[in-house]
Amino acid sequence: MKISDILVRDALVLDLGAKGKPAVLAELAGALAAAEPSIEEGALLEVLAEREVLQSTGIGDGVAIPHGKMPGLDHLVASFARSKDGVDFESIDGQPTHLFFVLVVPEHAGGQHLKALARISRFFRDADFRKSLESAETAEDVLRVIQDEDAKF
Amino acid sequence: MSEVEGRFVVASELGLHARPAGEFVRIASGVDGDVEISRGGEWMNGKSVLSILSLAASQGTEVHIRVSGPDAEAVLTALAALVERPHDPA
Repeated sequence: MKISDILVRDALVLDLGAKGKPAVLAELAGALAAAEPSIEEGALLEVLAEREVLQSTGIGDGVAIPHGKMPGLDHLVASFARSKDGVDFESIDGQPTHLFFVLVVPEHAGGQHLKALARISRFFRDADFRKSLESAETAEDVLRVIQDEDAKF
Repeated sequence: MSEVEGRFVVASELGLHARPAGEFVRIASGVDGDVEISRGGEWMNGKSVLSILSLAASQGTEVHIRVSGPDAEAVLTALAALVERPHDPA
């Protein structure tokens, strides 16, 4: 599974306007729903917000992976967003979050879900990858960084 | 200082996904020494959610956990219980 294949390019946000966690979730849901016809904004926001209540998806190193299961969806959908100033996303290491990778999966996609999370995590574990994403100037640059990483393994 | 190590099989149907990985790191982060996890290959930092998720440890996967420092035994027991937990709490 390539990340580029599930990434909705038109949903990319280079600099989130929202500052607080609920507002960021709403902006992420809005951007993805606007670009992906199979996703309804309100339903997505609810799914993402419910998941955050269980435990923040701010997993440290400036990265968050808001995710959830969406009834009725038949394929994996992902989007990327960035916050230059960083957001308090209640992350596990207490540091501000700059890079957001949203993953929405069909209701019964246990194996695929875990594989996608693993692949994304392998990307983001690499400090050079994170730096490249942070310094990318255009949407095309961001996509190129992700495609280059996809091509490595 | 002591070091303990064990092998445990992931019991949950969903595997070691983001939430249990987060719980793992919360336990591991409280340890003065090192916590490492692997699938038998490269040792990964057990205090990093990104590292644990990148293992893609699905149900039935055997993971190796290595803990050093004071209370290593108790920490390993807690981490083992998490990995071997059959159901995620709702």
